[in-house]
Amino acid sequence: MAAAVEAVRRGCRVTVIDEADRPGGQIYRQAHPALEGEEYAEPSELARKYALIERFKRIIGKVDYRAAASVYAVFPNGEMHFSADGRTEVLRPDAIVLATGARELAIPFPGWTIPGVMLAGGAQAILKSHRVLPGKRAVIAGCGPLPLVVAAQLLRAGGQVAALASLSPLTGMLRYPLSLWHGREVVREGLRYASTVRRAGVPRFTGYVPIRARGKEHLESVILARVSAEGRIVPGTEREIPCDLLAVNYGFVANSELAAMAGARMRRDPLIGGWLPVIDHFGRTSIPGLFAAGDGAELRGALIAELDGTIVGAAAATPAAGVDHPALKSKLSRALERRSRHLQFQKTLRRTLGLPIELWRLVTDETIVCRCENVRLGEIKGAIEGGHSSLNAVKRNVRSGMGWCGGRTCLPAVTSLIELSTGTAPTDMMTPRPLARPVSFAAIAHRRKVDAE
Amino acid sequence: MTSVKFDVLIIGAGAYGLSCAWWMAKRRTGARILVVDEGEFASGASGRNGAGFRMQWGLDLNIRLCQESIRFFETAADQLDYPRGIELKQDGYLVLAHSEKALATLRSSLEIQHRYGVPSELLDADDCIQMVPALGRNRLVGGTFCGKDGTISPFLLLDSLLKACRRENVDIRYGTRVEKLERTNGNFSATVSGGTIEADKVLLCTDWAVPELLASFGITLPVKSLPKEAIVTVPCAPKVKPILISLEHHISVNQVSRGSIIFVVSRAREGKELVSTPDFLGFAAPKIVDLLPGVADVPVLRTWGGVSSLTPDMQPILGETEVEGLYVAVSSFRGLMTSPAVGRIMSALILESDTNDPVLTQLTPRRFQTGDLIIEPLLNQE
Repeated sequence: MAAAVEAVRRGCRVTVIDEADRPGGQIYRQAHPALEGEEYAEPSELARKYALIERFKRIIGKVDYRAAASVYAVFPNGEMHFSADGRTEVLRPDAIVLATGARELAIPFPGWTIPGVMLAGGAQAILKSHRVLPGKRAVIAGCGPLPLVVAAQLLRAGGQVAALASLSPLTGMLRYPLSLWHGREVVREGLRYASTVRRAGVPRFTGYVPIRARGKEHLESVILARVSAEGRIVPGTEREIPCDLLAVNYGFVANSELAAMAGARMRRDPLIGGWLPVIDHFGRTSIPGLFAAGDGAELRGALIAELDGTIVGAAAATPAAGVDHPALKSKLSRALERRSRHLQFQKTLRRTLGLPIELWRLVTDETIVCRCENVRLGEIKGAIEGGHSSLNAVKRNVRSGMGWCGGRTCLPAVTSLIELSTGTAPTDMMTPRPLARPVSFAAIAHRRKVDAE
Repeated sequence: MTSVKFDVLIIGAGAYGLSCAWWMAKRRTGARILVVDEGEFASGASGRNGAGFRMQWGLDLNIRLCQESIRFFETAADQLDYPRGIELKQDGYLVLAHSEKALATLRSSLEIQHRYGVPSELLDADDCIQMVPALGRNRLVGGTFCGKDGTISPFLLLDSLLKACRRENVDIRYGTRVEKLERTNGNFSATVSGGTIEADKVLLCTDWAVPELLASFGITLPVKSLPKEAIVTVPCAPKVKPILISLEHHISVNQVSRGSIIFVVSRAREGKELVSTPDFLGFAAPKIVDLLPGVADVPVLRTWGGVSSLTPDMQPILGETEVEGLYVAVSSFRGLMTSPAVGRIMSALILESDTNDPVLTQLTPRRFQTGDLIIEPLLNQE
């Protein structure tokens, strides 16, 4: 939204393609119009959300806004293909800004495929967009701020939280007072969520992770156990807690597949989102005219995403030769300065959220790791032990990553399993192929070619 | 790299390269065999094709190569000691004709197929549609069907060969590109990143890339690269039981056991890029909807590209080149389905100078100089 607002302000013709029905993305997700009502986020966060949505609404009439539309391919020649309303279209704009956000990082454990176990952001999305509680009695677990936020929001919505488990305490940030000051807006909101959880008397399990989910048709209980700093289960610390919802979040993975498909140079940094396009401070990738902004470029949170959108939107709206001119930098100085302040906070925060690789050993040979193709850990281990040590080779052997989601869920797991087994992480990304989203033959045959000048 | 000398160096670890290596090892002659591949496991054409095999051809040699290979596929799990199996599926191949001319070609091929005992039959348009209700009737005039044709998993065939080869002490090295191949003092020496490999004999299994390696010997072989692209859909209800080939649409269709449908669509272009081209889906989708209206609403999951080899008579090239000890095995876009027979024939030729198989006379590299081209009537573009 911020990139579109900035590009329109600079006189560009802009097309905005968004998968959701309403603007807002994941973090500022809006409920269906018929379901609007009380929201459970902090007022300061909601103020940011509606201020940005309001800015976007003011330009909606000036842009070609496509809601419920999916970009399914970006090619090295600059073509962007997307589907909407059962048809497909091809655009070839002067600049493309990928603001595709992030998805949740899933760490498989025995029982993680039982209905009632979900990613915490997914549980939150149900609450935000459908305004229903995803479960009556929840256990919330993981690492980082999201589990705390989701616990507080479920409580505010009238839900019951049986336990909040976190791998490492967020108080780890206390060692970095300067960073806390840099991130004061977010820290203040975090403290209020923490106070909601404290007042409700939710049992806290710090240093604990869910090691097994139990239930036949539906989740019945979760076993939490303490893990050592290396990520190994401490025997005798297991606690079984009855619940019908387990919401887990260990962090996020950048949605960077379109950048990779377009041929942009990529790098890997698990702390800030896994495989990421190599970008400069204006969001320029190695492909001329292709930009990346927000969490899809590097995990930095919603506040930075908005500032980043303004900066990258301005760069994308500027003729290529003018981006490096000092004038652009000076015009953007306020956004650049605020972004770098928040980055101080985010960099420290991410440093406290590193995951011990042993966590990926919670799975047993029977645990399904690739949910699309039903590939169990034992099969993946077999392929790795058989000498296949790249993501492509493992994929060709057991089909992990070949299914509906194209590896968006299981690739971090397979990457870590290869690293655990061989001692080194795979150096190459799994080849990203079109289509990023499934599209029917009829929709492709029914194509409109609209070419932006 | 240690400078061990090998008896045979095979360049290319696709279906041809690995099959030739396994058949050689199986002869237990004590020959030291090395297979090198510039890519990683299954990253070339063998891992990118439509996965089908058939004995419905119009030429004796193709029928025989495929019959022998299909017998191998039927027992591959045992022969290669690979309990997981190679996902063999024999639901038949339905070759479709959308013109009287194409139907006449199918009819005459049927005669020769029956001579070799291929259980194929002629179908009219109604039979075809009864067999595959998703087919469109427009212009369809009929087809031929053989129930013994089918599919395997290319990945599992390659993995089973790889493991069987390694058990027989064949040295297989991925990520090893041969930069230069020379013959010095009666030996071949291959320059690879990080060293030199010496070998008595060399077999080139790099398919469309064979001319590059032959150039330094002054040998020209008329092998071109033919890029192809494929589509796989999300798993859906059974719609296409046998594999379909449409001679006029240049499409093959294979619904695998997981329910995904794989389409390989050809169009005339040149190149060597293993990528999906931006205009491919727009080119392929209307043809697919025309051929199979029943799949119009099935979502496409992914596309990929591959490169196959094309020879002037669209037949494989098997045999020794003008340089003694330098052999080629070029598949001409049916490497996977003929790899078992080709592996057996080439291993006998290279290790024991056995030239008895009549295929070796027909498919010799020398035929392009003598002009003895062999034309396959079922010139397919699957």
